[in-house]
Amino acid sequence: MFSAPWVCSRCLARSARLVRNQRPIVQRRGLQTDSDLSPALLTRARSMAAEHAALSDQLATSFDPKIAKRMGVLGQVAKALAEWNDANKSISELKSILDDPEAEADLRPLAVEELESTQASLTSISSNLKRALVPRHPFADLPCMIEIRPGAGGDEAGLFAFELLRMYIAFSARRGYKSSVIKRELGAGTDDRLSEAVLEIEVDGAYDVLRTESGVHRVQRVPATESKGRTHTSAVSVMVLPSFPENGVSGDGALNFDDPNSDYYIDPQDVRSEKMRASGAGGQHVNKTESAIRLTHIPTGIVVSMQDSRSQHANRKKAWQILRAKLAEARQEAREQEVVELRRGVLGGVARMGRGDKIRTYNYGQSRCTDHRSGITVHNLDDVLEGGDSLESVMDSVRSWLTDREILEMVSVSEATEKSQ
Amino acid sequence: MPRIPTRLILQAYKHDTILPLLLRECRTLESAKNEMRWLHEHALRISDSITTKRVPTKALVRCSRALLRTMCMARSRGMPLQYILGDQPFGDLDIKCKRGVLIPRHETETITYHAANLIVHEMANGLFRNDNERTPLRILDLCTGTGCIPLLLHALLAPHIKNLSITGIDISSAAIRLAEENHWRNMHLGLLSERALKEVSFRQGNVLDYARDVSLLTNTLHHMPAGRTSDFEPGCDVIISNPPYISPGDYRSGTTSRSVRMFEPKLALVPSESYSGLMLHVDDVPIEDLFYNHIAAIVAISRARLTVLECGNRLQAMRVVSLYKKVLQGRGEISRVVVDVWSVTGIDTHPCAVLIHLS
Repeated sequence: MFSAPWVCSRCLARSARLVRNQRPIVQRRGLQTDSDLSPALLTRARSMAAEHAALSDQLATSFDPKIAKRMGVLGQVAKALAEWNDANKSISELKSILDDPEAEADLRPLAVEELESTQASLTSISSNLKRALVPRHPFADLPCMIEIRPGAGGDEAGLFAFELLRMYIAFSARRGYKSSVIKRELGAGTDDRLSEAVLEIEVDGAYDVLRTESGVHRVQRVPATESKGRTHTSAVSVMVLPSFPENGVSGDGALNFDDPNSDYYIDPQDVRSEKMRASGAGGQHVNKTESAIRLTHIPTGIVVSMQDSRSQHANRKKAWQILRAKLAEARQEAREQEVVELRRGVLGGVARMGRGDKIRTYNYGQSRCTDHRSGITVHNLDDVLEGGDSLESVMDSVRSWLTDREILEMVSVSEATEKSQ
Repeated sequence: MPRIPTRLILQAYKHDTILPLLLRECRTLESAKNEMRWLHEHALRISDSITTKRVPTKALVRCSRALLRTMCMARSRGMPLQYILGDQPFGDLDIKCKRGVLIPRHETETITYHAANLIVHEMANGLFRNDNERTPLRILDLCTGTGCIPLLLHALLAPHIKNLSITGIDISSAAIRLAEENHWRNMHLGLLSERALKEVSFRQGNVLDYARDVSLLTNTLHHMPAGRTSDFEPGCDVIISNPPYISPGDYRSGTTSRSVRMFEPKLALVPSESYSGLMLHVDDVPIEDLFYNHIAAIVAISRARLTVLECGNRLQAMRVVSLYKKVLQGRGEISRVVVDVWSVTGIDTHPCAVLIHLS
């Protein structure tokens, strides 16, 4: 710059200002939840605590695993409610001391101090209570499968899909989760462009950890295939599916997919299985190595095809596993949609993050990764793509955003039901 | 066989320069690509295992590429993929394949699953004797080949049935050796339970001789030298078989694929009278049904409650059905015979299973 014969003074001033104002911009968008509980929530918490007390009496006389499980769910609510009650009680006591003109003079400053600290802790206690009241996701305890498909962007999307697959493998390796690629289809004539992949993470509760990842991941970079140095934007869609254990979840009726009364039961009559084999003689006459299986669920039109293994049997087993997961996810989504509709009736337009929405941007030029839901931006893209701490922090922020949103949803739904009553 | 379109060859060439070789056997791009992937993985495994760690990766890639090319050349000459890779998954098992022994087919796998389901179902319904604690459920697999059916049946039935005795019989000593090897191999891999060591056995014997002389079957089952008579009854509860069922005409006419004719043993594909000590009234029975005819006699003698037979197509299955009705219904001690056909794919030219229930 200084070798230049002449510099515009205004430009010089502006560049100086730029240097001075360089401070890290951490963006965070969160939903503020207020400390006071709505009466609808409070009555719900009280009824749950009452149920907890009744069940604990019942459990003292005879042990039943079902009751014990329910107790575990209710226990958190009961504990949080007890804390909330204690805090409220002490606040009212302190207030009565302050209001009492006959109280000793040296007690007053102590009471004021105590009141302030209790009121401060009440906020966190009530948010705890709300968190405990949010019903756990039905698939939260299950292992999961991650399906990765390139979206718009051609070859470049395929390349980035491969990198995302590597990112999730690295992430699960770093967390000590066992993962296996159960389906990997590469694009034509390449060995680094994905056309579809399914990664299974075989750890209970993996669904809860990774469910923040469902959605469209956007990448902005100069692709390896680009000759003129232009930045491209392409998209990869990621779907996190619950992975049901092979023989069903024993005992728990809701998740046992073999039980026709279960929500996740699939009638085998509804599934058309094609072996993709030509007609002509079979059996000993020929030795076909084709083992591809395609399953079509006729009512919904979901198609799963599988050709990775040389065994038809193994392919069918995996195809069924994926089909089951996809249907369960679709049914769960339909149920969530109902809740959203209910909310919309109360509050008007409510945005909902579905799998079709853009959730995250990976920008190579600026080496940043931004999540559009929580608004967090991390300036260490390499670490994110290696599944490191940065990815973890992004996922954490999304998780807390999700919890906040679920609380809001729950509050509005319970208010709506109260109003309708 | 229709010619491969030039466009397809070009497409394959674009994908990989050696892919057109595989197209000769596979006929479709999709299946050629799949085979290429499996061969590629196999080549990588081999080159990884034979070279030491100090070899640069470039040399490793070259080595695996050369291997891949050799394997693709072999495949283009019609060598079955399973002989090149050395194994074939069968259910959850891993079955080793060698020249001289028939490769297990997908249809046989499906039929074995169906048979296992039937056995468990019938067990619950009390078709078999109920004192399963003491006497085992006896299953006989005739023409066992690689031993895939007995081994898979054991893997499938062991969790449901406490006491099993499964015997595989084949005329070929190479097949018996390979079956024993598969037995050990799957035990070692942990795909079979410990019980399989005692409960599965393989014996060499000629199925075509048993109908003439039952004591031969008893001798084979109890491992006794020929000529000695035994007190054992030759009974068994279930007979399952995938016998040779290709007619000599179909073998020559092009119905049977080139790869099968050139590389797989004719002994396991086409029934031949030359192996039979005696002909059982073969006047109206075509040669491809020879084994079914002999097995019918074994079923009648042993009074097996359930028999599962794989047949080449629906026409043959219908012939076998009428044959069994004729042979079995004449006998006084058998009160009821139910024979039906279970189609694997629903296509008439594909294999079917004939199921025979006796009571």
